[in-house]
Amino acid sequence: MSVLSVQSVSVSYGGVHALSDVSLEVRAGQLVGLIGPNGAGKTTFVDAVTGLVPARGRVELDGRDLTGRPPHTRARRGLARTFQSSELFDDLTVSENLLVTADRPSWWTALGETLGRRTPANPAVAEALAVLGLQDLADASAHELSQGQRKLVGVARALAARPLVICLDEPAAGLDTAESAELGRRLRAVADAGTALLLIDHDMSLVMGICDHVVVLEFGRVIASGPPARVRTDPAVIAAYLGASATTGTPETP
Amino acid sequence: MEQILLFAVLGLGQGALIAGIALGVVVTYRGSGIINLSTGAVAMASAYAFWSLTTGFFGFTLPVGPAAAGALVVALAVGVLTEVAVFRPLRTSSPLAKLAGSLGVLLTMQAGVLLIFGTQPQQAPSILPADTITFLGLTIPSDRFVLTGLVAAIALALGAVYRWSRFGLATRAASENEQAALLAGLSPNGVSLANTLLAALVAGLLGVLAAPIVQVDSITLPLQVVPALAAALFAGFTSLGVACTAGVLIGVSQSILYYLSTQSWFPTDNGNAMPGLQQLLVFALMVVALYVRGAGLPRRGEAVEQRLPAVPLPDRLLRPALVAAAVAVVALIVLPFDFRQALTNSMIGMVIVLSYVVITGYVGQISVMQLALSGTAGFVLSHLAVRWGVPFPFSALGAVLVATLLGVAAGVSALRVRGVSLAVVTLAAALAVEQALFNNTSFGGTAGVTVPPPTLFGIDLGPKADFRGLDGNEPSPLFGFLVLAVTVALGLYVAHLRRTGLGRQMLAVRSNERAAAAAGIDVRAVKITAFAISSFIASAAGTLYGYNFGSVSAARFTALAALGLIGFAYIGGITRVSGALAAGLMSTGALLPHALEKWFGIKGTWALLFGGVSLVVTLIANPDGIAGAAHRRKTAKKAKSPEVFRGFTPVEVKEVTS
Ligand SMILES: Nc1ncnc2c1ncn2[C@@H]1O[C@H](COP(=O)(O)OP(=O)(O)OP(=O)(O)O)[C@@H](O)[C@H]1O
Ligand SMILES: [Mg+2]
Repeated sequence: MSVLSVQSVSVSYGGVHALSDVSLEVRAGQLVGLIGPNGAGKTTFVDAVTGLVPARGRVELDGRDLTGRPPHTRARRGLARTFQSSELFDDLTVSENLLVTADRPSWWTALGETLGRRTPANPAVAEALAVLGLQDLADASAHELSQGQRKLVGVARALAARPLVICLDEPAAGLDTAESAELGRRLRAVADAGTALLLIDHDMSLVMGICDHVVVLEFGRVIASGPPARVRTDPAVIAAYLGASATTGTPETP
Repeated sequence: MEQILLFAVLGLGQGALIAGIALGVVVTYRGSGIINLSTGAVAMASAYAFWSLTTGFFGFTLPVGPAAAGALVVALAVGVLTEVAVFRPLRTSSPLAKLAGSLGVLLTMQAGVLLIFGTQPQQAPSILPADTITFLGLTIPSDRFVLTGLVAAIALALGAVYRWSRFGLATRAASENEQAALLAGLSPNGVSLANTLLAALVAGLLGVLAAPIVQVDSITLPLQVVPALAAALFAGFTSLGVACTAGVLIGVSQSILYYLSTQSWFPTDNGNAMPGLQQLLVFALMVVALYVRGAGLPRRGEAVEQRLPAVPLPDRLLRPALVAAAVAVVALIVLPFDFRQALTNSMIGMVIVLSYVVITGYVGQISVMQLALSGTAGFVLSHLAVRWGVPFPFSALGAVLVATLLGVAAGVSALRVRGVSLAVVTLAAALAVEQALFNNTSFGGTAGVTVPPPTLFGIDLGPKADFRGLDGNEPSPLFGFLVLAVTVALGLYVAHLRRTGLGRQMLAVRSNERAAAAAGIDVRAVKITAFAISSFIASAAGTLYGYNFGSVSAARFTALAALGLIGFAYIGGITRVSGALAAGLMSTGALLPHALEKWFGIKGTWALLFGGVSLVVTLIANPDGIAGAAHRRKTAKKAKSPEVFRGFTPVEVKEVTS
């Protein structure tokens, strides 16, 4: 059964249709790639799924309807995401960034903390840091990090929530080829451990290398979907996105 | 009906002044993205210059023409100084820092005027012809029409300049995309300077011309910026025509409202005209403007470094708190009575600044309302204790509860409003509360209402308690201990808050509301909680104020006093409890100003001047405030060279079976 099920989601900004009738499913343990040229609507899709832009259509998480729910409710039900431009909490340290998603203090624990009770360290934080090899940065301030490090901390922050699904918006941008490949291996491992992942990236060798399934967007519509091998050779996809460089694994648009 | 018309026309004078200042606000915003709170103060400066030059204040008298020219030169000089010394260095700072910078200018100018001209309101001679015209059977002074015509002409001329001149093009380009404007060879500094000068000229001119209609003083004139901000909000901080029209209409409606309030059917305040209706109207209009226009200001394409002052994790809390408390206990007993009083004032000042640490430091929202909540708590305390005879801890708790609920209600209704807009509406709200509520004799009144001393189990804990310090004088150290206990408890709580999950959520909201929501944080709930905590602290300070002086009066809780406190909070370090301590020591009647006055004969007004200047210097050179600088010096010693980290450290991902 699909953990994340999105049915004919549409978004328009003013009169512009940024997304039209996009449907997509991600199963537990599955790594689904979402690719397409700049401005195709990939980020808008994640915004719509996470509730950050008003959208038509239906979003289900683990069989429960999330349509119309505010972003924080969706996040608490197990829908995590990263941002294309990282969007870390710059005033917090790296581990505090993770704690924000890992700990969801109830009124009761908040009161306890006010009275000086220490909440035990949340193992999810150390675990997420370890998955991405960020232990050394735990106490660094988020605003001191390099661009690549910010991306990784964004991924770790999503992981720390122990979500059912993570939507990753270009997590490898800012990493070099080797680092990107290493991130891919680690993401694959995360998926294999049972989390559903939706991966947006322009690095085709990364996407084609680790994804089970790839969906291609153009002008807000799905123009192809299927296993990487089939999508890679789809004439419509080559024309719209991959271009002649499909063989080298990098699309023309960066 | 005729009377209404008459008052409407009379209101044109005030309206023209508001419109002129509103034009100044809009022009400055277009030029540099700064909401200049000191635009009204520019009108004040030139009005005072004009008055002093025509009345022989400096020992010579100029004819009206040259005096007006001199006044405009003063306005321009203020403009140049503001631009070069404040706005330019703050170019890349956050909008809130810019707003605070203009606040520094306002406080500085106000202090300057007080030091030179004193507190006495003045009446300036009129430049405009003093004749009257008969209109629909009414005799009306013609200067009202001349003034209105003049601002309208200024608005049209400015509009033409922006539309057709190269300078106008440059301003528009710079406000859309500063980077692109730079590439096209336009200097944002030049554009900004030219606009600031234009704004100063317009505000200064209106200050001179409208001076005879409104009185020249150091409070009313600078605060005309509040109705002007309402007009500017209607204009979306861009349209000159709307700003001008709205400004004139606000003046007219204030005048009509005044007329209505003198009618027999209108509710009165114990037989007198209801106070503060004008300010209430302005506040209501701002709320309407925010609904019509949306809560956000138009975004400028600036290369802005949005970061607010850092909020480090405090490593030790209890030990420094205990040390400070022990020092304070000894000081309260040993110090002579005047310093004991000043120390008590400092602690109360610190508590009110703590409320800003929570709402501004942790959540990044400037609410000018907080001091008004202190005042509300003080007045409610008096009513509970005097009128209903509620005994000590319950009267104080009840007062705190009422004021906190008010603060939460304000916070809930302002949820969509954030950042600079929030600062602007809450300023209007603070002014409305001050004028309409605190000056209303059935609730408050300038004369003050009494607050009986706190007594617990028959023991007087107030400033007049029997237990006296070494010098045997009032105030009693016992009351100091009470204040100290509250201060230490609240200080510890606010510092501790930074380490809790709620504190992290607040900082997450401050950093990035979208990312916070996506991380599962209920942004609205966090903001409301922050408003509740901040309001609670501010209200507690208000009850302490009441007990401290045995009475509560409106003068302590004015909107201007609130602005001054925010200034002190920034200077001290608005994100830290130690910053609140520093701010408390600087606040009105606290140890620092008291010592300066006693030992060096430096008056409070000088402290205000010093405060205004230090605010600007702090924002430019040391945004983390005194406490931040101290913290940096301490940590710099133990800092090691940062290690460069790239990519992944060789770490094993836990074993996965697929
Ligand atoms: N807030 C917005 N207002 C108006 N239009 C927007 C907004 N955000 C995105 N768009 C438009 O919607 C379309 C989809 O944008 P989106 O950011 O989703 O693309 P993307 O596939 O993520 O592109 P990229 O690969 O560059 O990240 C674009 O045409 C974009 O200009
Ligand atoms: Mg995108």
